[in-house]
Amino acid sequence: MVEEVERVEELSTRPLSVVEAPGAQLLNLSQLPQPQTIIMQRREALAKVSLLLGGALSGPTLMALGRLGNPAAAATLRDKLNLSAQQKQIIAEVAEMIIPRTDTVGAKDVGVPAFIEMMINDCYYTPEHRSFMAGVTELEGLKFLQMSAAQKTDTLKQIEQKAKEEMKAYNAQTIKFGDNQDLESMNAVKLGLPFWRLMKELTLLGYYTSEGGMKASFEYVPSPGKLELTKLKPGQKTIVY
Amino acid sequence: MSNLNISAIKSRTYDAIVIGSGISGGWAAKELTGKGLKTLVLERGREVKHVVDYPTAQLHPWELPNRGQLKAGVAEANPVVSKCYAFGEATEQFFVKDAEHPYIQEKPFDWIRGYQMGGKSLLWARQTQRWSEFDFEGPARDGFAVDWPIRYTDIAPWYSYVEKFAGISGNRDGLPQLPDGEFLPPHEMNCVEQHFSQAMAKEYGGGRPMIIGRCAHITQPQPIHLEQGRSKCAHRTLCERGCPLGGYFSSNASTLPWAAKTGKMTFRPDSVVHSIIYDEKKQKATGVRIIDSNTKQVEEYYAKIIFVNAAALNTNLILLNSTSNRFPNGLGNDNGLLGKYIAFHNYRATINATYEGYLDKTTDGRRPNSGYIPRFRNLQKQETDFLRGYASGFGANRGQREDRNGWGEELKTGILKPKLDEFWSVGSHMMGETIPKESNYVALDKDQRDPWGIPQLRISVDYDDNDVKMTKDFFEQLTEMYTKAGFKNIRTYDSNRTPGLDIHEMGGVRMGKDPKTSLLNAWNQLHQCKNVFVTDGACMTSTATQNPSLTYMALTARAADYAVKEMKKKNL
Repeated sequence: MVEEVERVEELSTRPLSVVEAPGAQLLNLSQLPQPQTIIMQRREALAKVSLLLGGALSGPTLMALGRLGNPAAAATLRDKLNLSAQQKQIIAEVAEMIIPRTDTVGAKDVGVPAFIEMMINDCYYTPEHRSFMAGVTELEGLKFLQMSAAQKTDTLKQIEQKAKEEMKAYNAQTIKFGDNQDLESMNAVKLGLPFWRLMKELTLLGYYTSEGGMKASFEYVPSPGKLELTKLKPGQKTIVY
Repeated sequence: MSNLNISAIKSRTYDAIVIGSGISGGWAAKELTGKGLKTLVLERGREVKHVVDYPTAQLHPWELPNRGQLKAGVAEANPVVSKCYAFGEATEQFFVKDAEHPYIQEKPFDWIRGYQMGGKSLLWARQTQRWSEFDFEGPARDGFAVDWPIRYTDIAPWYSYVEKFAGISGNRDGLPQLPDGEFLPPHEMNCVEQHFSQAMAKEYGGGRPMIIGRCAHITQPQPIHLEQGRSKCAHRTLCERGCPLGGYFSSNASTLPWAAKTGKMTFRPDSVVHSIIYDEKKQKATGVRIIDSNTKQVEEYYAKIIFVNAAALNTNLILLNSTSNRFPNGLGNDNGLLGKYIAFHNYRATINATYEGYLDKTTDGRRPNSGYIPRFRNLQKQETDFLRGYASGFGANRGQREDRNGWGEELKTGILKPKLDEFWSVGSHMMGETIPKESNYVALDKDQRDPWGIPQLRISVDYDDNDVKMTKDFFEQLTEMYTKAGFKNIRTYDSNRTPGLDIHEMGGVRMGKDPKTSLLNAWNQLHQCKNVFVTDGACMTSTATQNPSLTYMALTARAADYAVKEMKKKNL
């Protein structure tokens, strides 16, 4: 039985283990109430931090990587994004607003803008190419780069709110099952995921998997050599394996 | 015959040929070369040298270009292999892409393959549970398949032999249904896993133990492991990229370099085996016909004995394609049973719950292993309306979440202050024995060929009523056990997933006592062609519930020992 345990309109993801994440399995289960529902199964992390290697991506953004399990969508054209210098600047500005430089490095410092462009080009399909470009074009039309800081913030708030509304059509849900797995489901909506959703999650992914972003934020221990019980000390950085 | 031909034949003649270099082929290579046989190992894929050919093994997260995600189009071009949990940006180099080796799914079957030196031993889940007497006597007691020609006592010393070399970690639990082995120190269970284990002991009086899995990881290197150049597992849990430490057992890290050190092994990659050559006058196999995957040239190699370790279904394919006047339906196939009685493990069911104890604790680190519940159903006697039973995994972990609302400094700060879940997540997956049936089979297609001109394999394998009943019982029994352990929010899920994804396909060339009803004898020799040995998953008469690789290793070492003794007696 599939039952809802968590709605995923707001970003909320379960961690992924390093290897299993990309193998996320796309299933179209006919027994589900809505034939248009897409189900994805993915391994949950044994690791603590969910921002590594796909864990920053919520179900919908991860499922859009496989374009909702629809081979026909994969057959559709995937043009390269053709971004002007100004459009690239807009992407960089939005990424930096999501993860600004503070006492630690920001999105621009660790190459997030180029990473986002690469990921949209390499890993997403036409619907997300279109929705992403629509978002960039919209900001361009609003002369985003010329806005004051306060205006920029207001604009992003509006875009964020609009994205939340648009995501309702997907009815995305996360269900836990098995000893180490999550099941994600959402409606197969033909529109691409909202620009804001892609921007925010790819910024998180790019930043927290970059060397600078990861080391500034976590304690990176690639060879833990153990699994043992522990209590986290106050103020201790989260450990990333 | 001219001198030139004689010398050409001589240069292509070995004492033994091993087809395949995966987990069982690697053992055949090690044992045969170790006993002094000049051995040719044929591998259809490329060479993958330990460490140097693991391109992603040492990469940090930021060094994976797409941060672990597949590029657009890869999953759609590979609907089969992309379903495998281990297939991803860091590992896809070790998997066969769907288009590279087509096959025909008469019924849906996800055939997951690794065509390279070491085969799937680079990718396996590394669980190594011994079979018990309950498993070997199963078909005879319960009246399915045919009786195994061997019993636990026949294989027990060979389990010990391979375990010592491979390096198996485990706890001596003293269970008759899951015999202890030659164990390196076990992994630890965490507090919730211990809680569940203790609750089961209390509630079922030893009838349903939960133990830490036995697995092929070096937890304390012995001289034999250091001699292989392998060292202690560092709990990186990036195993499927290939382990630069040799922390887990693979052909690449262990048996193949060991065989190479003898100076007796010739390793030939890019060698797609077409068939085994049968000599009607000599009444035995004389060699192997291959197609070089680079040049597409057909070549022949000769030997006194041949070990077929091509992985279960490909071993079936090779034997079916090895036709002659004597064996028009495939080598050794007088009874027409070659390719039939294919079985697998039923992994379609999972269960998940929460536990609200031990909230002052969490874990630090990772563990390449999990808990294990050996089969308890129908163990001592038949007690349900289905045959056999299932083993189950068990794991508990404490999840953690960050506040990812908003953006800017608020978001950056929120992410640095994760909160532990107010519960532990626990779960199990089912590993069910399936009953081998004549109607579950593989066969050669009459028309369609693969890129090397070899007939494509038709696969016709499906669940049956026994599997459905067993799945239902898994849900009922595990729900009861979880309830007794105080777990809450219990949820069950039947993925109905396609056979094959368990990557435990077995049978088709089964062992047995009677040549009329089996293909192989108690020493894994073809009844009708004694110098051909099959010791991979194809030889399995039944499947039991244990992960099968350890049993393939033990059967291979045992058969190789026998083969060399028979050669010395001039019987082969």
